[in-house]
Amino acid sequence: MNGPSSSTLPVEVEEPVDETIVATDRPWIVIVWNDPVNLMSYVVFVFQKLFGYSLEKATTLMRQVHEEGRAVVSHGTREKAEADVARLHAHGLWATMERDQ
Amino acid sequence: MARRFRTTRDGLVVSLAEAEIGLLRRLPDELRALLESGGGDGDPVMTRLFPRAYLDPTEEAAEAEWQDLVHSELLQERLAALDLVTTCLERATAKRNRYEVVLTEDEVHAWLGVLNDLRLALGTRLAITEDTDLGAFDPDDPAAPAAAIYGWLTWFQGEMVEILLG
Repeated sequence: MNGPSSSTLPVEVEEPVDETIVATDRPWIVIVWNDPVNLMSYVVFVFQKLFGYSLEKATTLMRQVHEEGRAVVSHGTREKAEADVARLHAHGLWATMERDQ
Repeated sequence: MARRFRTTRDGLVVSLAEAEIGLLRRLPDELRALLESGGGDGDPVMTRLFPRAYLDPTEEAAEAEWQDLVHSELLQERLAALDLVTTCLERATAKRNRYEVVLTEDEVHAWLGVLNDLRLALGTRLAITEDTDLGAFDPDDPAAPAAAIYGWLTWFQGEMVEILLG
């Protein structure tokens, strides 16, 4: 493994709050990307099933994926984002995660 | 013409023509074989079914850790859904020249997942884009049969989702 080791634990630092802590506290976002295969209706179905979103919210997110190429569908800790990405992949959606900018 | 789907107290009744049940018996076997073999190095279908979680190359360690954690579970889930579709079809009953099978809610969800995986696999092999016109495939094109199957799967999955969305 060549990359830097990942850690979600905040570094123990006293005052002042340095940038490391700010970066660590920043939530993660889960992005679903547009793809040419997944049906729009199926994507709506998956958003409702996985996240419990209303038909309206799920449809809005699906349209955003379709029209803008991507949409943020959930956010939270690294662990939550990793779990959400896994569930989206299990349903065939193309999802990735990154730190909220 | 027989109705394709019927909602009853016992579950969702799916009515299939002989050619359709043949496809739904054959295609999961093919995908199962691919998944069990792991595909070739960098097989685009495997990459599409099991994408990265992190795009950021500086998160390579987290990516590897995440793959270790979830890959085999995602693979087993896909194989179990394929098996379930195959098992469901074993209890299909012949009605005149069609076949009927009653699906529980869990089975309907497994079917949707399998139909989607089959479309992702075929769509990747066919290099489908948003602009692909399935009707424009030359009948002599070696990819034409796969394109026709992809088109049928798309229609079939779409009908099934519509029923779930009510």
